[in-house]
Amino acid sequence: MSTPILPPGLAIQKADERIMTLNVGPQHPGSGHMRIIVQIDGDYIVACDPDPGYVHRGEEKMAEYRNYVLNVPHLERPVIHDSCNVLYPYVLGVEELLGLEVTERAKYIRVIAAELNRCVYTMYWLAIYGIFLGHSTMFMWPAGDRELLIDLLEKMTGARVTHSYFIPGGIRNDLPANFEDVCLRQVNYFEKRIKEYADVFYENPILISRTEKTGVLTRENAIRLGTTGSVLRASGVDYDVRKKEPYDVYDELDFETNVMKSGDSYARSRIPWLDMMESCRIIRDALQKMPKSGSVRVKLKPNPKGGFDSVYKRVESGRGALGCYIVSDKKPEPYRVKLSVPSFRNLIALPHLLIGEKLGNMPSTYWSLNYWPVEADR
Amino acid sequence: MGTATGIIKALNSGIKHLALKRFTLRYPEEKLKFVGDGYQFDPTTGVGIAGLKGRHMLFHDHCTGCQLCSIACEGVAEAIGMVKVPNEWKQNKKSIMPQIDYGKCVFCGLCVDACPFYALYMTNDYELSSFSKEGLIYTPAQLQVKPFVAQDSEIQISARGATHG
Repeated sequence: MSTPILPPGLAIQKADERIMTLNVGPQHPGSGHMRIIVQIDGDYIVACDPDPGYVHRGEEKMAEYRNYVLNVPHLERPVIHDSCNVLYPYVLGVEELLGLEVTERAKYIRVIAAELNRCVYTMYWLAIYGIFLGHSTMFMWPAGDRELLIDLLEKMTGARVTHSYFIPGGIRNDLPANFEDVCLRQVNYFEKRIKEYADVFYENPILISRTEKTGVLTRENAIRLGTTGSVLRASGVDYDVRKKEPYDVYDELDFETNVMKSGDSYARSRIPWLDMMESCRIIRDALQKMPKSGSVRVKLKPNPKGGFDSVYKRVESGRGALGCYIVSDKKPEPYRVKLSVPSFRNLIALPHLLIGEKLGNMPSTYWSLNYWPVEADR
Repeated sequence: MGTATGIIKALNSGIKHLALKRFTLRYPEEKLKFVGDGYQFDPTTGVGIAGLKGRHMLFHDHCTGCQLCSIACEGVAEAIGMVKVPNEWKQNKKSIMPQIDYGKCVFCGLCVDACPFYALYMTNDYELSSFSKEGLIYTPAQLQVKPFVAQDSEIQISARGATHG
């Protein structure tokens, strides 16, 4: 009887006296919708092979059968907690393809929505990071405080997640009456709340001893492996798309990027927290500088068409630089839509980080990469 | 900072929360307040009006049976199907109206954007659960009914923390 040919990773491997192969996932606890094949020697990891692809949804292929506007609801599905940022590069690209001029007010409102959404995503990420480390207070607090911003987004967009708010040509609807005051009040309180996380989590000696000097990614490796976002900034590279290639009105707003040198799991978890405070600053600044009235959406023809053209746009999402490449061939539907996602790039660093670590440090190192399984698979 | 000081600070931060108000929304007893009367769309300016994207509401006297909502939904969720209605409405020569399957609807609101006659709006009604799949299908007659939505709780921020007051 011949042995069946199995995909790599599923084949039965030769037993070794010391090395044990462990499949973490693809059922959910501690891995997301993916599998991490870990080889351990006692408690220490000797090799690691992340195996994504369990939640592939064919978003890019689906985009070739829908027109530029109807692509909006399904293209935000890869990361429903960060749906405005996931949609942002697509919308910017389509606007360039169709030659649409977005009004100033719409640009500011888009920035506010994107920053609120970045905080919502980061809070959800932080809650899971806390529970991965066994810190259940850090699960409850961000999950609760996230409600403040979800409430704002619900007032703005009409949905708590999957807003479908950005559209080629601007945004779907204007802000509700009295939104500025409510937004300012809740964002200020939110910032006060996240500063309290320092005592209980980020300055907590137990957390520091648990995560400091684990999963160290050096500056050279971070650049060589092509990581983005908070992972790159935690390794000492000052790179933020909002600063380097400002889109919409980010060049007029006052904010800074946060950089840490150590490149360990602790730094990677601290950078998104510091970024949330910058987001609050951006929101306050944008609310002040925003034109108080004006149109927010350019009227589109039914089934708009672009020329023979291609465009690549990228934005800074909650996880890092997120790009979108769109090819148009004079039809209402795009010829090709390619999402270049930060999650997948950050996952590449995982095998390099885990070698020599204890198995107990695997969940925190894995989740500190700011990885979202559905986004990596698209 | 020493280890002992850090742990005491962390404990202290947790103990402070005993004096703070509770942020939890006691859902079936309390319900959230929404900004408007639901998401609506103004076809003359081409801009929507902010509101919750909940269950739809269909105005029979405005609907002409043009199927634009159904065409918009084809690329998203295929939730809207056109069904026959009695031939009493004069403006609706085709005598068809949308029927919405909430088992499929993703509440994106693009059908509302597509309607050029102010016929389809979204309301604040979000409690749509049903014991059967058939119960999720809303006929034109059911969509005509304006829902009553209880709204009594809003986020309030005081010195003792945020609450759903």
